[in-house]
Amino acid sequence: MKVLVVEDERGLAESITDYMVKEGYICEMAATFREAEEKIHLYTYDCVIVDLTLPDGNGFQIIEMLKQLIATTGVIIISARNALEDKLKGLEIGSDDYLTKPFHLSELNARVKSLLRRRQFGGYTEIRFKEINVVPHTRKVFVNGQLTTLSRKEYDLLLYFLSNIDVALTKASIAEHLWGDNIDSADSFDMVYSHIKNLRRKLLEKGAADYVQSIYGIGYKFSQL
Amino acid sequence: MKLLTKTNRVYLTFSLVIYVLTALAFYLVVRFLIYDEVENRLRVERRDFESYVHTHNSWSTIPYFVENKIEVTPAERAGQLAEEFTDTLILNRYDKQLIPFRQLTFYQPIQGVMHRVEIRKSLIQTYRLLEVITVTMVLFLAVLLVGTFWFQGQLSGKLWHPFYDTLSRIKRFDLRDDTSLKLEKTEITEFNELNDVLQKMAAKMQQDYRSLKEFTENASHEIQTPLALINAKVEQLIQTEQLSENQTNWIESIYQASRRISRLNQGLLLLAKIENRQFNSSQQIDLSGMLAEKLNDMEEVLSFKELQVRLQIEAPFIVQLPVSLAESLITNLVNNAIKHNQPKGYIELVSTADVLRFSNTGGQLLSEPERLFERFKKESTGADSVGLGLAIVRQICDSYGLCITYQATNGVHQISIIHEQVS
Repeated sequence: MKVLVVEDERGLAESITDYMVKEGYICEMAATFREAEEKIHLYTYDCVIVDLTLPDGNGFQIIEMLKQLIATTGVIIISARNALEDKLKGLEIGSDDYLTKPFHLSELNARVKSLLRRRQFGGYTEIRFKEINVVPHTRKVFVNGQLTTLSRKEYDLLLYFLSNIDVALTKASIAEHLWGDNIDSADSFDMVYSHIKNLRRKLLEKGAADYVQSIYGIGYKFSQL
Repeated sequence: MKLLTKTNRVYLTFSLVIYVLTALAFYLVVRFLIYDEVENRLRVERRDFESYVHTHNSWSTIPYFVENKIEVTPAERAGQLAEEFTDTLILNRYDKQLIPFRQLTFYQPIQGVMHRVEIRKSLIQTYRLLEVITVTMVLFLAVLLVGTFWFQGQLSGKLWHPFYDTLSRIKRFDLRDDTSLKLEKTEITEFNELNDVLQKMAAKMQQDYRSLKEFTENASHEIQTPLALINAKVEQLIQTEQLSENQTNWIESIYQASRRISRLNQGLLLLAKIENRQFNSSQQIDLSGMLAEKLNDMEEVLSFKELQVRLQIEAPFIVQLPVSLAESLITNLVNNAIKHNQPKGYIELVSTADVLRFSNTGGQLLSEPERLFERFKKESTGADSVGLGLAIVRQICDSYGLCITYQATNGVHQISIIHEQVS
């Protein structure tokens, strides 16, 4: 899987790239409009992460160009502007997702994965992690072949964990993933805790190993043990 | 009052006064001339009378004159001897009507005895003349008045037309549009100057507005990008295995602080955007319905905090708002109601067509409820709140014709929203 990160802020581009490389993608960076233009003409990418404001051009133009070259490439916009018009315009010209800065790398990663799943297998693919098997298009979870009934949020939580295996996830990033940007009260952390407790119990009941680790002061990690 | 009505009214009053004065003066002048004429003739007749008396030394009462009457009576006492003109009414012999006469009274000795002599002349003809002249005069003046009034109305309507045209164009002018203000050239220099000034002002305003908008957007970008960088680096840092407890705490603090700055920045930008009216395309929104939906979405949080929701929607509360602002308004209200609630408390939504009441249980307030609408004013010093939520709510309401009030009584906090009275 090849991912291109078009972002002029060098440090941020590096962080995204590092994260993606760790997840097993081949990842390239472009810091300017011209560089990005050159790269999309030369190589084929499965997913392109585009910042809208570039020093020498506009991210929308890159997306338009890309969609003319290879329409199947997934596009995620990352922008500092939390403007509805931008989001709508992005969707109109063929982008798949829109993230407002600052965002969590784990969230970006989860979105990239979900996007690639949709793009490549039309969503008809199973996510397998040891004894856990998730079927996204029916939203069903099997542990050792047994169906486990999870609530909507527990399912989202599990999928988020499975997209970020062996990564320390902050409580804030989990809360925002589950309830959106606007959740910011201390209660949400308690709720994250209670959801994780339930998910863990349900997985253990069906005989899965205890993969969820809590990391003091930070959050949780779904580790391979 | 409209400009044309006002000028017409002033013009009408002024001309009426002038016309009444003119008519009065004209009447007085004509009257004076007629009296002068009659009196001169009476004097001539006095001379005739005197010469007759002088020649004959007597006076017969036989009517001597056809039109006039001369009455001679012996004067009882010789008082005032000067001649005197008076107006008098005499009964007509034939048709018993009172007829106005001008009368000259003087004293004349006849055969050694002082007599009072009264010579009269009928004024009936001259009165008729005066009447006809006055009526004609009034009629002419009235026609003139109406005519000039009508002409004046037509003329000023034409003259002021460019002004009204400019006015309607300015009314339709929207700062947020990309089209600049275009005004017609007219024949009148003053209006051309006015249009020039207005066009220049509008262009300047549009330019300022655009640069302000760009500034807010750029500021957002410039601040959010470094924050994204901090967040990303912190996230990478926490992946490190060997972190001490202290280090974890520090990282956590950095992370929280950067998220707070980000929220603060977004909140302030939102406030600036609402103030600058950078949201257009407002539409009819059922605020009570949206609130109920939001409460439904937050079901998990509510049941987690054991909060009861009471809905009493008698009629939907409809407002005119941009969708994104309505969402922001509702999210802030619901978040506040949840955040500042008590365990086993409740959230109540009462809605009629005129008023929306959103109340929740909560602790006692330390400050005036209304003061919580101010920026950065908050009850607790919790790190998870930046103190802009209610300020945003207030700003949205103020900018879109809604009135919001906050009351706290006996641990129940109530926010009421009503439509501003259109004056």
